[in-house]
Amino acid sequence: MKASLRRMLWISRITFLEAVRQRFFAFLLVLSAAMVLSSVSFRVFDFGHGELKFIADFGFGGMFFFGSVLAVVMTAQLFFSEIDNRTALTLLAKPLSRAEFLLGKFCGAWAVLGVFVVVLAALQGTVLWAREQELLSLADPAAKLAPAFNLEGLLQLVLLQWLRLGVVISIVLAISALARTFLFAVVVGALAVVAGQLQWIAQDAFLRPTDSQLYAAFLWVSTRVIPNLQQFNLADALVLGSTGVDDGAILVVVLSGLAYLLAYLTLGSLIFRRREI
Amino acid sequence: MSSAISVRHLTKDFRIGIRGLKLRAVDDVSLEIPRGQVFGLLGPNGCGKSTTLKIVLGLVSATAGEISILGEPSATSSARRRTGFLPEAPYFHKFLSGRELVRYCAQLSGVADADVDAAVEDALGLAAMTEAADRTIGTYSKGMLQRIGFAQAVVHDPELVILDEPTAGVDPVGSAAIGRMIHAMREKGKTVVLCSHLLGQVEQVCDRVAIMDRGKLVLEGAVDDVLARRDRHVMTVEAMTPAARAAAEAALAAHGAKVASVTHPRRSLEDLFRELVTGSRDA
Repeated sequence: MKASLRRMLWISRITFLEAVRQRFFAFLLVLSAAMVLSSVSFRVFDFGHGELKFIADFGFGGMFFFGSVLAVVMTAQLFFSEIDNRTALTLLAKPLSRAEFLLGKFCGAWAVLGVFVVVLAALQGTVLWAREQELLSLADPAAKLAPAFNLEGLLQLVLLQWLRLGVVISIVLAISALARTFLFAVVVGALAVVAGQLQWIAQDAFLRPTDSQLYAAFLWVSTRVIPNLQQFNLADALVLGSTGVDDGAILVVVLSGLAYLLAYLTLGSLIFRRREI
Repeated sequence: MSSAISVRHLTKDFRIGIRGLKLRAVDDVSLEIPRGQVFGLLGPNGCGKSTTLKIVLGLVSATAGEISILGEPSATSSARRRTGFLPEAPYFHKFLSGRELVRYCAQLSGVADADVDAAVEDALGLAAMTEAADRTIGTYSKGMLQRIGFAQAVVHDPELVILDEPTAGVDPVGSAAIGRMIHAMREKGKTVVLCSHLLGQVEQVCDRVAIMDRGKLVLEGAVDDVLARRDRHVMTVEAMTPAARAAAEAALAAHGAKVASVTHPRRSLEDLFRELVTGSRDA
């Protein structure tokens, strides 16, 4: 067990080093950071919401979007670089199981996404806090406005987003284990993310009565195979919500995310075990 | 004692295209590779030798047949712990240094933490890569890549080392260096399986050879046995005059023997090259 863990950690360490050296990671990180920072300059726009909410929506939106792009493209690239460059031949000829290899890849990619989420969340938190302090200083002291920015909520959001990206990575790895080309893995992975974002529609439809058994069966399978990625998007409620989110609801989201993550990693390992290198 | 590698009735079919047409890459191959020898697996491109090695290592599944490594079923973790592998045209992460790569492979191969440093230095020394070990792999020449690949294959002191085209694209000096590493492994009692197109080198370093063609094993045996022509003899004579030659031919004819040809012995171009090009170890 200890030896297996050590091998996985070495795979994830090398995967992490490889990923952070990629220009693609640096490019998306800089782009997302620029998006977060630029949100302050857009405060002249008014879409009918409060300014802090607009800044939060804009910045966290960038984190959700570019995080997903990074999770799909980078994970597929890290997997296929080992296969196409044939470094996997060298590694898998050693006493390293396919599952250890895949889990190592997962941990390395997840660690990179962890850095991505933490850096952006720290930037976003700083921007929100600074602007809120500025607005509070300008407000009438008699109004006794309470600060809306919630640091604890931001930490919870970081964990939820990291978990959400972990689910995406595990799906992309399962697809990559089956796919023959990088392009196929990226396209199907991206479609899976879109399906996950829209899964709530299938959930709603499933709750409505229908006469078609086939349609009902399709919805039942869809709502279980595809994770609801939308449920992780609680940025407003967690970071700016005055009432916050019920701990029980967050626990359900976390458990659901972990269940999907483990299920897709298991599936990926089973598929990869049969793959010819 | 069991063989280093035992292959019995190995067959491998690849399915091609949507219709799933079968391509037989390996066709009922049976092979016993004894321990402690250097074994050469030869054949033209596409004859199935690399596929055979991949099946032995568990990287590709067999359609039929049984394989064991050092008495254990192949593709098991414990069998692979006792095996080292250098793939054809190896590629490694360019951002790692040679020493980091060998350390990484030592960790994956199950070398105990306390022994890793010594194992890494031993492997680098054996591959003559100690001096260049701290350079990143991206700066290595082809010959150095092969040698660092050799180091990662032997860092865990395996009993069996499988080398797939270790001298492909390497100049004769680098090729000779790899030949010396193979000799060193044999002297340590290891079994080396060598897949190569350089027949001259195979002849020099291998104890036994097998030749594959179109997925089938067409010949297998000790190098001396398969190459020797028992009905012919070679004598190397110094200062032979025409008269001496005529007398020798007459004497042989008196005993019913006939001189088939008289030629001057040649050294190989590789030997000549290695004599002239010296001092360079970094191929």
